[in-house]
Amino acid sequence: MKFKINRNQLIQGVQGVMKAISSRTTIPILTGVKMTVDSGGMTLTGSDSDISIERFIPAEENGEINLEVQTPGSIILQARYFSEIVKKLPDETVEIEVGERFETQMRSGASEFSLIGLDPEEYPRLPQVEEQNVFSIQGDLLKMMIRQTVFAVSTSETRPILTGVNWSLEDGQLTCVATDSHRLAQRTVKINSNATELSFRNVVIPGKSLNELSKIVEDSEELVQIVVTNNQILFKTKNTLFFSRLLDGNFPDTSKLLPGDSKTTLVLGTKELLQAIDRASLLAREGRNNVVKLVTLNENELEISSNSPEIGKVFEHVAITSMVGEELKISFNAKYMMEALKAMDCSEIKILFTGAMRPFLIEPQSGDSIKQLILPVRTY
Amino acid sequence: MGKIVQLDDLLSNKIAAGEVVERPASVVKELVENSIDANSTRIEIELVEGGLSSIRVIDNGDGIEADDVRLAFSRHATSKIKNEHDLFQIRTMGFRGEALPSIASVSHVEMKTCTGDGPGCAVKIINGEIDSISQAKARKGTDITVSNLFYNTPARLKHMKTVNTELGNITDVVNRLALANPDISFRLKHNDKEMLSTSGNGQLLHVIAAVYGMGIAKNMIPFQAQSLDYEIRGFIGKPELNRASRNYISLFMNGRYIKNYVVQKAVLNAYHTFLPIGRFPVVILSITMDPTIIDINVHPSKLEARLSKEPELCQLVQDAIRNTIRKQTLISEPLKPKKKTAFSEQPSFHFEHNLGPAKEQEFRPTENKEARAETKSEVAYPPSPPKWEEKVIETPAEEMREEEIIVNNEWPDENELENKQPKIPPMYPIGQMHGTYICAQNEHGLYLIDQHAAQERMKYEFFKEKVGKVASELQTLMVPYTFQFTNKECMIINDHIEMLQEVGVFLEPFGQNTFIVREHPQWFPKGFEKETMEEIIQQVIDDKRADIKKLREKAAIMMSCKGSIKANRHLRNDEIFQLLEDLRNTSDPFTCPHGRPIIIHFSTYELEKMFKRVQ
Repeated sequence: MKFKINRNQLIQGVQGVMKAISSRTTIPILTGVKMTVDSGGMTLTGSDSDISIERFIPAEENGEINLEVQTPGSIILQARYFSEIVKKLPDETVEIEVGERFETQMRSGASEFSLIGLDPEEYPRLPQVEEQNVFSIQGDLLKMMIRQTVFAVSTSETRPILTGVNWSLEDGQLTCVATDSHRLAQRTVKINSNATELSFRNVVIPGKSLNELSKIVEDSEELVQIVVTNNQILFKTKNTLFFSRLLDGNFPDTSKLLPGDSKTTLVLGTKELLQAIDRASLLAREGRNNVVKLVTLNENELEISSNSPEIGKVFEHVAITSMVGEELKISFNAKYMMEALKAMDCSEIKILFTGAMRPFLIEPQSGDSIKQLILPVRTY
Repeated sequence: MGKIVQLDDLLSNKIAAGEVVERPASVVKELVENSIDANSTRIEIELVEGGLSSIRVIDNGDGIEADDVRLAFSRHATSKIKNEHDLFQIRTMGFRGEALPSIASVSHVEMKTCTGDGPGCAVKIINGEIDSISQAKARKGTDITVSNLFYNTPARLKHMKTVNTELGNITDVVNRLALANPDISFRLKHNDKEMLSTSGNGQLLHVIAAVYGMGIAKNMIPFQAQSLDYEIRGFIGKPELNRASRNYISLFMNGRYIKNYVVQKAVLNAYHTFLPIGRFPVVILSITMDPTIIDINVHPSKLEARLSKEPELCQLVQDAIRNTIRKQTLISEPLKPKKKTAFSEQPSFHFEHNLGPAKEQEFRPTENKEARAETKSEVAYPPSPPKWEEKVIETPAEEMREEEIIVNNEWPDENELENKQPKIPPMYPIGQMHGTYICAQNEHGLYLIDQHAAQERMKYEFFKEKVGKVASELQTLMVPYTFQFTNKECMIINDHIEMLQEVGVFLEPFGQNTFIVREHPQWFPKGFEKETMEEIIQQVIDDKRADIKKLREKAAIMMSCKGSIKANRHLRNDEIFQLLEDLRNTSDPFTCPHGRPIIIHFSTYELEKMFKRVQ
């Protein structure tokens, strides 16, 4: 195999797949990046236990030549070293040549590296995905959906299914739900795809995969194609394939968790509340659930407070737009509250309480495309 | 008239007693050792009040001739050695001829003895002098009673601790003597209550069971080894059988309990990485050697010995124990398995795994390409020619009926020391729990594997070798280090200066007992260059060798820990397969470098028992 490639293209390509390569693995070959070159262009592959990323660099794009292939072929190189080397090479182009026993020469300008390569045939095959259940979402919308839900997944493998975000598609509406059993985040989106008959349930994507995916997807209106199979999900952008495994098991039914009515409904500014809680949480201790207390004072004000006996206390009044229903005193974990508020994309929010010991719901002031449900902290 | 006088015998005996008879336990030791030297096969020890009131030792040994009785209680009188030549070939426990007169000088002694021919002799000694001596009826052997110990040395008497402490010391002494002499039957009674009883049938394991209990005896593994000068044998406890103190390491040399720090260290080295930090093994180690190469005449208590060729002995001990541990299947069992009789077992095929990723591929052209290709061609059948799994009917750990203890006692054949077979059976993954433990099964039951510990062990074996091979780059120092040593240390350093140079420490003499170093190896931990160098030099001074591997072991453990997959991480099936397979190929797949267990095994039988499917 021998080819010449534009270094910037290579850097972008390698960095794209590096997201899927972990330095700790039980299968040593997975610490490598796989490169395959043919006349059409170059394909880079990286994979770990959750995700696989395949990136294509076309030989020619927008009239510019990225790649000159002399002999096609493929090779696996240690990803850590390869990516660092590529980043620091001196010239605009890199020439790569692979010998018979996978010894690899990289030349750029006056610099020449020899790397020990591995046999590409040893590399696990990427999952075969049948393109039956296909729909597409705009890239920026996908990223936002991920941002608004993925923070709520559980980070502990004790209940593996909760480390993922549950996607379901029904009647052209995509619902994403994540919960770590203390709080829940839900986002619904209309899919303006013509495949309205397409529906699926219980597609649970690992939170880690989604985090990586959102780093790769570009913040543009370009469509991302999504293919769902039994145990894999594939996200396709122009030059990238992103595979993730799906979690085994049934995601708990969360629809019944959302309260139907409310005893107290508050409407207030997102930013004001977030900042007040942020300040109050300075005195809330991680070891004691980060407890912050919310008390409604009257129709125009509520009080946020926090108390740490050995440090001190804080009180703050926050103006509210409206309050309907009973007076309320409630305590909750400031971290959950702040994460939920940061996920809200509107200047005013509505909080629906059904009692001091019952979960409360945060929604945008109008509409219900985002729902954040938080369980209060019991204080005694 | 001069001021110097010759002390009389009684006084000099009392002075000797100061060293020899320290507490009741020393009396017991001296008397029982006499019984052992008299070829007894049965020794009974009866104590009253922790030996403070009376100690009685009855044996069935040779006895003392009536004519010798008087002499036996005089100083430097012994039947055990005759001349200077014998002193360097001591085959008996005693030889100094001091015990009896010393004991007699601080207590009341009554003795009945008989050689088996003719009438016996009874003697009563008070205050070191023979009070009465007469003919008496007696069985063959000696029956000696020491009472009112230290009645005439109030200072010593005051030093006595509680009855229980003294009794504890005596049981220690008797336990050790019993362990050292499995072919002598010992019985220890305190206030008519039996404390210890051994059968004297020569089975060390039975003695271990009597001394430490069946639980420990069941988990002991026999071992033996030989070199030109030494023969060692004994029992070692499985690593899971660890204790918080070193007291469970008993060392015997030519049948004598010896405290030897160096050999003890060799034992601990052998257990290195098999035991958690601060835990110590249970080991009974008996060393036999020609009496000419051991010198016990170090202290009257004979607890220490000087050995020639000590380093060889240590090496032998360490290798023998390590090999024995390695040969064992050391998978922790959650419960003590019950006795189970397996008279026969049907051997089974052993299927080698075909790893996950390979399945989707046409072929895997590596150096073992052909083998792989071949395995690929017959998917439905076991890929490699099925091997008959070599299995012992049952491992000793899993069951041990009374009669099996005896079977077990056969010493392992040295020739089978090296076997390259993986030490754990193949396991087939079921899944992963909490992202931390791998559940696997095979025909023997259920296994739980700590994924982090497992990978840590594999990486450790790799890094341990790697850190030993250090690159030879040296960093020159702007200001050289100076090291000062004592005269003695300097001489050792000068003798081993080349050894130090091999590991990159170049010492240059710089005046009296001072050396300077102008450069240090590149790999030295940053900020600890001088300390590291001091450590290496100290290693050379102490052990006469520089072992970088050992020095950098912590680094290796750290590297293996950092480089391993962590807990709370999902593994794909093919990753689990690979992990289990790699684990099987490590040389010690049972504990991680910190000594914690890697695998826990629930046998099918135990599970059935837990679910009350069997009784």
